Amino acid sequence: MDKRRLIARINWPGTAVLAFIGLAWEAAVRSGLLDYEYLPAPSVIAVGWGELARQGILGPDIAHTLISVAIGWAAAMVLGISLGFLLGLSATARRYSLASIEVLRPMPGVAFAPVGLLLFGFSLKTEMVVTILPVLWPVLVNTMGGVTGVHQRLHDVGRTFRLGRRDTILRIILPAAMPPIVVGARISLGLALVLAVVAEMVGNPEGLGYGIVREQQALRPDLMFAYIVTVGLIGIVLNAGMLALAEALLPSFRQLRGDP
Amino acid sequence: MRSTGPWQQYFKLSVAALPSARGLLPLVVLLGVWQLLQTDKSPYFPPPSDWWNGLMLLSKSGRLYPALSATTMTLLLGLVLAIAVGTGVGLFVGVFPRLRRAIGPLLEFLRAIPPPAIVPVAILFLGYDERMKLTVVVLAAIWPILLNTSSAAERVHPLLLDVARSFRLSAVDRMRLIILPSVVPAILLGIRVALPVAIVVTLLVEILTSIEGIGALMIGAQRNFQSPQVYGLLVLIGLFGLLVNSIFAVFEAILLRRWPPKTQSENF
Repeated sequence: MDKRRLIARINWPGTAVLAFIGLAWEAAVRSGLLDYEYLPAPSVIAVGWGELARQGILGPDIAHTLISVAIGWAAAMVLGISLGFLLGLSATARRYSLASIEVLRPMPGVAFAPVGLLLFGFSLKTEMVVTILPVLWPVLVNTMGGVTGVHQRLHDVGRTFRLGRRDTILRIILPAAMPPIVVGARISLGLALVLAVVAEMVGNPEGLGYGIVREQQALRPDLMFAYIVTVGLIGIVLNAGMLALAEALLPSFRQLRGDP
Repeated sequence: MRSTGPWQQYFKLSVAALPSARGLLPLVVLLGVWQLLQTDKSPYFPPPSDWWNGLMLLSKSGRLYPALSATTMTLLLGLVLAIAVGTGVGLFVGVFPRLRRAIGPLLEFLRAIPPPAIVPVAILFLGYDERMKLTVVVLAAIWPILLNTSSAAERVHPLLLDVARSFRLSAVDRMRLIILPSVVPAILLGIRVALPVAIVVTLLVEILTSIEGIGALMIGAQRNFQSPQVYGLLVLIGLFGLLVNSIFAVFEAILLRRWPPKTQSENF
């Protein structure tokens, strides 16, 4: 991509608005226009972020949150894709479990926190109890939808080529169901981060989630905002990474990007 | 013309919106096995019959109903406010492309911040009260509604806008007759996404702050090692979520009966 196109791609008005809000916030706090006791100026938040990074607190916190995101998401992917395929391929399995899924799906993740605490105390296991079930649903439902939504004509193609069951699944259904699976994986990854943070807020005093709560209770809003910004940035990075990965793996995914 | 009355039609639509009941079998079997395998009283895995007793105990002590109504009130009020503000701002942003481009990155960043992270901020600014709870729910539930509305308003078919121009519709009529009807399905989709978020955030606030509600009751039961109550409340919350979602599914089916059916891409 040449330089001019890159410059044209940057959303200048959007960047300007962000910068303006940052500056206005800074000015309002400095001049005493916004006189909340707990509203730090952006520069103070940046200094707080630097302080956390220097003291070596931020690194391990980020690592802990990322590890629990990775475990929860990986487990949900394995379970969700295999169960989704099972349900997508067998109408009987669908008939006898869809309502159970509909009952379990709206279960809020936080509600499992007290159960996890009861069983495992403050630990990574509690975090997993909170994370896995809600993260599972988007992958499972999208995989199932992808598999059932494979066009009849593609099945006919498989039959024409006399493909066996295994080849039909691997060569016809899996590629055709890939885009919705990737969408589900992306939604799940975002959810995994949210739930890891939630779990750390209530279930496991470690990581970024606990950092937010700890600094709130310590009345250090600058550090609290530094943690929140960190979580937001990680969310953006994970989402962008997932999109890049999907585009690298699936050339056809680029057409599907027009998402909300 | 039609032999069935509107209510019969609504009922049919409602039934079609809900899954078939025999799919509940795995869940029933699981709970039954749990009940039967429980030979001695385990402090961690009490049998389902104990869950019921735990809930009855809570209800007799008179704490269950106030908590349930507090949670329901917060959720409903929060959703109504989020829908009103989200739809309004979303339409406005979607109709004016320049505005959308200007505040797009800001919205994207705000959306990237996990809703639960707002909770400690709100506690710090607003203190421990009902108002804070409501603010957090609105702030968390507004994004899916706002973003869905704005992207749908932006993607209204150009032909429809040409129709508005041909008929020389005023700005108000254009909004009322052309744009609003074409974004209703997207608004409903946004609300569908916002519902579980609102429930989660309501419970999280209650768990973190022990402000009256089901979440507070649950974390209290856990601290007292009342495991039957914890499981009982978990089931109650599950049923609550199911009820809220089902009511919304029925409402959506009735409201959307005149719209063209969903396409595959919307139906994720």
